[in-house]
Amino acid sequence: MRKAWSLFFLAAAVVAVAACWAAPGMHWWFPQKSPGGHAVSPLGNQIDDLFYLILVITSVTFIGTQAMLAFVLWKYEAAPGRRSAFTHGSHSLEVIWSVVPAGIMLFIALYQMDVWARYRIQSRFDPYAFEHPIAEVTARQFEWRIRYPAPGKTLQAKPQPDDLYTVNDFHIPLGRPVMFQLRSDDVLHSFFLPHHRVKQDAVPGMTIPVWFESTQTGEFELVCAELCGWGHYKMRGQITAQREEEFQEYLKKLSQSQFDDGVLAANAAGAQQAPAGEEKP
Amino acid sequence: MGLFAGCGDQHPSPRFALNKKTLELDKIAREPIVKALQENFGEPNRLIAWQKFPFDYGVADPKAADASRHEAGWRLKEGRELYMRHCLHCHGVSGDGDGPTARFLNPRPRDYRAGVFKFTSTLSGLKPSHDDLKRTLQNGIPGTTMPSFIVLEKGPGNEENLDLIVDYVRWLSARGELELKLVSELAAMGGRKSEIEQRVAEGKKGESSDTLESIMADLKKSIADGFADALQESASDLADSWARVEQPESVVRPKVKRTRPDQESIKRGRAIFLSKEAKCADCHGPAGLGNGSLTEDFWDIPNTNPVQKYKRPGLHDAWGEPQMPRNLTSGVYRGGRRPVDLYRRVFAGIKGTQMPAFGTVLNDAQIWDVVNYAMSLPFHGEQSPYPEEAPEAAPAKKVASSQH
Ligand code: HEC
Ligand code: HEC
Ligand SMILES: [Cu+2]
Repeated sequence: MRKAWSLFFLAAAVVAVAACWAAPGMHWWFPQKSPGGHAVSPLGNQIDDLFYLILVITSVTFIGTQAMLAFVLWKYEAAPGRRSAFTHGSHSLEVIWSVVPAGIMLFIALYQMDVWARYRIQSRFDPYAFEHPIAEVTARQFEWRIRYPAPGKTLQAKPQPDDLYTVNDFHIPLGRPVMFQLRSDDVLHSFFLPHHRVKQDAVPGMTIPVWFESTQTGEFELVCAELCGWGHYKMRGQITAQREEEFQEYLKKLSQSQFDDGVLAANAAGAQQAPAGEEKP
Repeated sequence: MGLFAGCGDQHPSPRFALNKKTLELDKIAREPIVKALQENFGEPNRLIAWQKFPFDYGVADPKAADASRHEAGWRLKEGRELYMRHCLHCHGVSGDGDGPTARFLNPRPRDYRAGVFKFTSTLSGLKPSHDDLKRTLQNGIPGTTMPSFIVLEKGPGNEENLDLIVDYVRWLSARGELELKLVSELAAMGGRKSEIEQRVAEGKKGESSDTLESIMADLKKSIADGFADALQESASDLADSWARVEQPESVVRPKVKRTRPDQESIKRGRAIFLSKEAKCADCHGPAGLGNGSLTEDFWDIPNTNPVQKYKRPGLHDAWGEPQMPRNLTSGVYRGGRRPVDLYRRVFAGIKGTQMPAFGTVLNDAQIWDVVNYAMSLPFHGEQSPYPEEAPEAAPAKKVASSQH
C-alpha cells in the first residue's frame, strides 16, 4: 500500500511528459498556420531551435530526477524495524549539482547570443530594412495604429502630409526582412506576433525599431502581450503578409481611398485631375 | 447560501431599461409605452423583429448549414450576440450609452436612443447610412475610446459580422427613439407627473375645476383615442428616416473635385476660416487650437422653458455633455481623414454637436479651400495632405548603406 505513493509520484511525472508529448498533435503547442506549426519567419525558426534545445535539456533533467525520485521512494520506503540514517550532506555532490547547471547555463547564454544579436542589435539588422522602415506602429489603449510612408517615400519620424493610416490592420511584404518603428501613446504594451515569434514591448517615450520577415503569405494574429488596462484582452490586430507587388498595390489603394474626395466619376467631367477613390468602406 | 443568492442577483436576465424621460410620466401614461415596446421589440432574450423598419432581420434559410439560421430573425439574434460581447460594456444593454465602463470615459459612449449620430455621409439632420456606421466600426473613432472592430470581420465566415452589429445598433436606436417620441406624444396628452400634480394643486386652490379623477379620465380617454395612431405614425416616420438615408439623394457629395491644396488655396481657406460668414475661428480659435471665444460663453440649454443656461461655459453636445471644438492642429480626425470626410463635416455639420452645417453658406470651392486649410494646420499651414506623384517607386532590392 505504501508503495502506492511512489507509483503516484511516478504517475504524475509520466502524465506530465505524456501531455507534452501529445501536445503538438492536439494543437496545444505552437499556433498552427504553417505545416507542423513551424515559425513563419527564419529568425523565428532559430528561436524555436533554442526553445527546443532548452526543452531537451530540461526534459532530460526532469525525467532523470523524477525517475530517481520514484526509485528512491520505492526502494527506501519505510518498513517495520528499518531505521533512518542521518547525514550532513555530501560536499562533492553539492559541487557537482552546482557546477553542472552553471555550466549548462553558461552554455545556453553563449549559444543564444547570436540569435539575440540578430534580433536586437541594430548593426546586425538588414541594412536595407533598417534604412527603409515600412511603417510606424503606435500602440494605444486598446488598438494598434499604423502609419505608412507614401508609396516610394521613406518613413519620417514626424507625420508627413502624404502618410497613410490604418488601424489594427498591418500589411507587410513577404520574403524580405521588414522593419517598423514601435511606439506607445500611453502605457506599456507589447507587440506580439505568435506565428513569427516576435515579441517586443512598446515603451512610452521610446521609438523601438523591430524587424522580422514573413516566409508565408496570409493573415496572422497580432496581439498585445502586456497587461495594459481593462481592454487589454481585446487589443488585437491582424498582420497580412503579401507578395511585394500585392503590397505595393495595397498601398496604392490605401492612398486612393485615403485621399478620396467623394466626387462621382460622372460628375467629374472637365475637372482637374485628382485621384478617384472608391467610396465604399 | 447568501453567497449564492448574491451571485444569482448579479446575472439577472438582461432587460431593456426605460428611458428617464419615460419615468417622468404618470403610471397610466407610461403603461401604453411599456406595452408597445414589449409587443414590438421584446426583451434582449426575446427579440421581436418589427417588419415596419427597413432593417434586414434575416429571412429563414431552411437549407443553411448553421441550424440557428433556419428561423427568421437570425441576423438580429447574431447581431445581439456580437453586440453583447463587444459593445455592451460601453454602450449599455439598451444602447443608452451607459454601460459599466461608460462613466470612466470622455467623451461618453454614444446614447443611440436619441437617433443622432455624429459621423455620417448624409445631409444635415439625417440619420447615418448603414455604411457610415460600418465605417465607424472598422476605423473606430480616433482620439476617443471607441475602438476599431476591423478584426471582427476578418477570417472565413466573419465577413458579415459588422453588418450584423450595425443592424442591431440601428434596431436599438429605433427602439430608443420610438420610446422618446411616444413620451413626447403622451406628454402632449398631459401625462407628465409634474404637470398632473400642478393641475391637481390648481384645482384644489379653486383656480380650475380639475380634480385628480377628471384629469385621469381625460388622460385615459386621450390615450384610448390617440395612442394607437401615434404609435403607428411615429414608427412610420422613424422607419422612413432610416430608409431614406440609403437613397443616393441623401448622401453629401461634392460636385467639384478637391482643389489642389497649393498655397493659394490654403490662403483662401484661411480667409474663410476667419471670416464672418463661416466663423470657424469663433469656435476653433484663430490658430485652430480649439479655443475660440465661443468656448467661454455660457450657452442656453436647448428646449428649456423658461430658458436655462448650462452651469459650465463652453459648447455642449445634444446629450448635454460639455465638449471642446476640435484642436485642428493635432491631425486627429474622429470622423475620418479622407478629404470627403472633412468636406462632409463642413457641409452637413457634425450632428448632435454645435458644429453647424455650412452647405448653404459656402459653395463647393470654398468648402474645399477651408478643408485644405484645416488639413494644413498640423503642418503649420505650409502644406496640406495630398497624394503627390511618387518620385519613382523605390526598388525593393538591397542596397549597401552605412549604419548609424
Ligand atoms: C471602450 C468603450 C466603447 C466600446 C467597447 C464601444 N464603443 Fe462605440 N463609442 C464609444 C465612445 C466613447 C463613442 C463616442 C465618440 C464620440 O462621441 O466622438 C462611441 C461612439 C459610437 C457610435 C457613434 C458614431 C457616430 O457617428 O456618432 C457608434 C455607432 C458606436 N460607438 C458603436 C459601437 C459598437 C457597435 C460597438 C461594439 C462593436 C462599440 N461601439 C463599442 C465607446 C465605445
Ligand atoms: C459653433 C462652434 C463651431 C463652429 C462655428 C465650427 N466648428 Fe468645427 N467643430 C466644433 C465642434 C464642437 C467639433 C467637435 C465635434 C465632435 O466631434 O464632437 C468640431 C469639429 C470639427 C472638425 C473635426 C472633424 C473630425 O472628424 O474630427 C473639423 C475639421 C472642423 N470642426 C472644421 C470646422 C470648420 C472648417 C469650420 C468653419 C467652416 C468649423 N469647424 C466651424 C464646433 C464648431
Ligand atoms: Cu496593450
